[in-house]
Amino acid sequence: MTTQLPPGMHIETVDEKIMTLNVGPQHPGSGHMRLIIKVDGDYIVSCDPDPGYVHRGEEKMAEYRNYIQNIPHLERPVIHDSSNILYPYCLGVEELLGIEVPERAKYIRVIAAELNRCIYILYWLAIYGIFLGHSTMFMWPAGDRELFIDLLEAMSGARVTHAYLVPGGVRNDLPSNFEERCLRQVEYFEKRLREYEAIFYQNPILKARTEGSGILSRTDAIRLGTTGSVLRASGVDFDVRKKEPYDVYENLDFQTIVMKEGDSYARSRIPYLEMFESCRIIKDALKKMPKSGSVRTKLKPNPKGGNDEVYRRIESGRGAIGYYIVSNNRPEPYRVKISVGSFRNLICMPYLLKGEKLGNMPAVYWGLNYWPVEADR
Amino acid sequence: MSNVIGIIRALNSGVKHLAVKRFTLRYPEQKLKFVGDGFQFNPETGVGIAGLRGRHILFHEHCTGCQLCSVACEGIAEAISMVKVHETWKHNKKAIMPQIDYGKCVFCGLCVDACPFYALYMTNDYELSSFTKSALIYTPAQLAIQPKISQDVEIKIDDRGASHG
Repeated sequence: MTTQLPPGMHIETVDEKIMTLNVGPQHPGSGHMRLIIKVDGDYIVSCDPDPGYVHRGEEKMAEYRNYIQNIPHLERPVIHDSSNILYPYCLGVEELLGIEVPERAKYIRVIAAELNRCIYILYWLAIYGIFLGHSTMFMWPAGDRELFIDLLEAMSGARVTHAYLVPGGVRNDLPSNFEERCLRQVEYFEKRLREYEAIFYQNPILKARTEGSGILSRTDAIRLGTTGSVLRASGVDFDVRKKEPYDVYENLDFQTIVMKEGDSYARSRIPYLEMFESCRIIKDALKKMPKSGSVRTKLKPNPKGGNDEVYRRIESGRGAIGYYIVSNNRPEPYRVKISVGSFRNLICMPYLLKGEKLGNMPAVYWGLNYWPVEADR
Repeated sequence: MSNVIGIIRALNSGVKHLAVKRFTLRYPEQKLKFVGDGFQFNPETGVGIAGLRGRHILFHEHCTGCQLCSVACEGIAEAISMVKVHETWKHNKKAIMPQIDYGKCVFCGLCVDACPFYALYMTNDYELSSFTKSALIYTPAQLAIQPKISQDVEIKIDDRGASHG
C-alpha cells in the first residue's frame, strides 16, 4: 500500500540500531534550539542543528525605526554583549551620516566594549562549567562577572542592556572616580582569573573530556567560514581588532591568542586567555584616554542618510559581527542586515559531532560559542 | 600519577576559598550604592550625566506637554502616553503630561535624551514590583515624587578578596 504524502515530506527509514534524539528546544541547557542527533549506542552517527526558534525579525524591525530608536532593540539579541553588538551599527551609521566622533568617546567605547566582552565570556564560561558538571566553575565566573557589571552600571546606568553606544559617541561621560575604580577592579579580576587555571584548565578531568574531541582542522575552519575563537583555536591568526582596526584599537597594546590544536580544549581556553588581553586593553585605554573633552557629537533630530550603503564589522565575544546598512534619503534605514558569529559557527556542528560520544556533545556544542538568540536575530 | 596531583591541586584551590570573604550581596538588607542621583541629560551640550536608569522623575514646573518623550518612545516600548492633568501652568496650555507604563518600559532612557526642557530625568529607584498590572502605570502625579532610597554598600577589595560592604 502506498500512501500519498504532501510535497516536501518523506517517511524516515528507521534502522534497528540507530536511535534519534531531540536535544532541545525546551532549553535543557541547549538554549532555544534543537539538535537532532542520531546515535548508535553511545556514538553519534549524525547531527542536524535546527535553529530558528527565537527569530524576532530584528532586521525588519530596524526598517521602521529611525537611527536612534533602533538602538534598544538591536542590542536584544545578545543582552550579555550588548555594547559589542551595537558597535558596528554605530560605526556604520556614523559613516552613512558623516558624523565625527570625539577622541575621548572612542576610548570610552573601547573600554565599554572590552568590559562587555569580559561579561560575555564569564557568562559563557559559567555555562561551560555547569555543562561539564563543574559547579564551582559556574559559581566563580558568575560572581566575578559582578565586578564588570558594576563598572558598566556606573558608566551607563544599566546592568545588562546598556544602550550606551550611540552614533556620534556615547550617551554620557564617565563618572568622576571611574578611572581608579575601574583599575582597582580590573587588577583584582586578573588576580582572580589566574585561580581559574588550577581548578578548571589544568584539571585532569576537564582535559580528559575535552582534549582531542571535536577536532576542527585549519583548512576546515577556513572552508566552513567560522569566525572568532573557533577560528583562532584552529590556528588561523584572524582578529578584526588587529586586521581592520576600528576606533582606537590600533593605538592599544594587545595580542591575538592563537592555538593550533583545534579541539574542544583549545576552543574553551582561547576566550579565557582573551580576557587577560581585554584587561590589558582596558588598562592601556584608561592610560591613553584624553582626560577631558566632549563625548558625543550633537545630532540633528531625525538625521537622514543619503543614497548610500555601508558595511562595518567588529570583533565580539563570539566572532565577527557585521552590519550592512542601506539608506535612501529617509530617517529610517532602507535595509539592515546583521551577520553574526554564532550563526556562522553553527555549521561546524554536524562535522564536529560525527563519531563523538554523546557525553562529549555539551563540550563541543558550547565550545563553538553559539548563542541561539543572536543566531536567529 | 600526574592526574592525581592535578586533581589535588584543583581541590586545593577550591579549599583555599573557605577562608575568603563571601562576595554575595545580601539584597534586601544591603543595597548597592550608585553614582549620582540617576541618569540626567543636558540638552544644551547633548550629553547625559552618568547615573542609574531607574524610575523616572517628572518636574511639573518644567514640562510643556510637547510630547517629544512620547514620540521618542513610540518605536521603542510605547510605554509613554500623554494624559490630561488638572493643573494650570502658563507654559503647558494643553495641560498634558507623560504617564509611564512600567510594564512596557525598557529603561533605555532615550525619552530623557529627547526632553529639551529639563523636565524628565531618571532616579535610582528600581524596586517597582507590584501585585497588579494597573499599579505599574505611573501617573504624572506619582512621577513627580522624589524617591527615598537607602544606598549603603559598594564593592570592597582587600587582601581577603572582594566583598560587598
